[in-house]
Amino acid sequence: MDKLIADLKEQISVQLKLKNIKPEDIGDEEPLFGAGLGLDSLDVLELIVLLKQKYKLKVSAEDGPKVFRSVKSMAEHIIAKQVQNV
Amino acid sequence: MKIYIRSASSISPQETFNNPLFLNELSEYPNNRLTCIEPDYNELIDPKLSRRMSRIIKMSVASALSCLKDAEITNPDAIITGTAYGCLEDSGIFLANMVEQDEEPITPTAFVQSTHNTIGAQIALLLKCNRYNNTFVSGGVSFENALLDATMLLMEKDTDNVLVGGMDEITDMSHTVLSRMGLYKRKPVPNRDLFKLNSKGTIGGEGAAFFLLAGTPSKNDIACIDALTTFYKPGDITETAQQVNSFLTAQSINCNDIDLLITGNNGDTRNDEIYVQLQQLLFGGIPTVSYKNLCGEYPTSTGFALWMGANVIKTNSIPAILNYKGTAQNKINKVLIYNHYQNTHHSLILISSC
Repeated sequence: MDKLIADLKEQISVQLKLKNIKPEDIGDEEPLFGAGLGLDSLDVLELIVLLKQKYKLKVSAEDGPKVFRSVKSMAEHIIAKQVQNV
Repeated sequence: MKIYIRSASSISPQETFNNPLFLNELSEYPNNRLTCIEPDYNELIDPKLSRRMSRIIKMSVASALSCLKDAEITNPDAIITGTAYGCLEDSGIFLANMVEQDEEPITPTAFVQSTHNTIGAQIALLLKCNRYNNTFVSGGVSFENALLDATMLLMEKDTDNVLVGGMDEITDMSHTVLSRMGLYKRKPVPNRDLFKLNSKGTIGGEGAAFFLLAGTPSKNDIACIDALTTFYKPGDITETAQQVNSFLTAQSINCNDIDLLITGNNGDTRNDEIYVQLQQLLFGGIPTVSYKNLCGEYPTSTGFALWMGANVIKTNSIPAILNYKGTAQNKINKVLIYNHYQNTHHSLILISSC
């Protein structure tokens, strides 16, 4: 889980070009949107593509708000889907 | 109707941005590609907003903001841009992504940011400017058409001021493609020696130039735009000369009234022949400077030429680094900019002191 969270932070930082925020400075449970990292709707699309490209996962519209709440929630979603697919 | 240039800002391969000294030193490039000298954008654009911006967007936004600051305008009545290539870097990124991802869904940002009107839109978003916003994509006269639109808006009297800019970037991909097409010289040529060689091809360049134009005078205007025109693929040099004569006659002047001619020579013998012939036919004895050894060749280079011409008038001086021919006038009142892009798009811009 810790390794996955660290990887996700690195990937999010690159994908969203967060040049002024180091991956390690992103909190595991820090909200990605609103008061947290301050991401916007275009970033959601980037995150959807990131999960598709790196983890072969599709995120449904209903799951979106829950999955993209924080880096930790994204990691939990990835692990849950990987367990389902075993 | 005169159009007043209240401020002008340029990011170019020379030290032109926020530099109180006017082209005092030539920035030299050893090969066929001149790239812009860029400022520290973190000081100019909120990093949260600039993270998605490509180089051309950042250059343009920085130039536009500086132009507005100099004119002491916070929100212009219109934003008009002219660009031939648009946001080429992002276009290249999303096309490459499509290939690399086997046409699977790709990240949206590069696509969203790749359209030609992204630059005008980004400036409007930053300024929260909901007014007239237009982008012209017309090859070698993209900037001129933006300028023409600005002029017409100001003539309609409903608009007090217009922010107008011309910009184009060069990327690794575009430089390679345009080199293959024979646009650039085959061997590396330093920009210092651009006009010393008689050979085919030119050197690539880029830049972003912005102007705050107004329909009424103020004490801070740096120059006036008297008139501009464009023409497409003239049949021969006689037709080109006729176009120039008609343009000057419409302004009730002739060639002898021009204090300085700025020409778009780019070091390519095929291209420069037109300027040589026109010099013989019309402009003999008129002081002349060329500018593409400073900024390279690109479709909206007349933005740089207008910035340069306006500053020549403002400072009443011709920088030593310019390729100057002729006898200097005591007072430079009228400057004519004549450029053509690959003998297809031709333009004339007449500016004068206010």
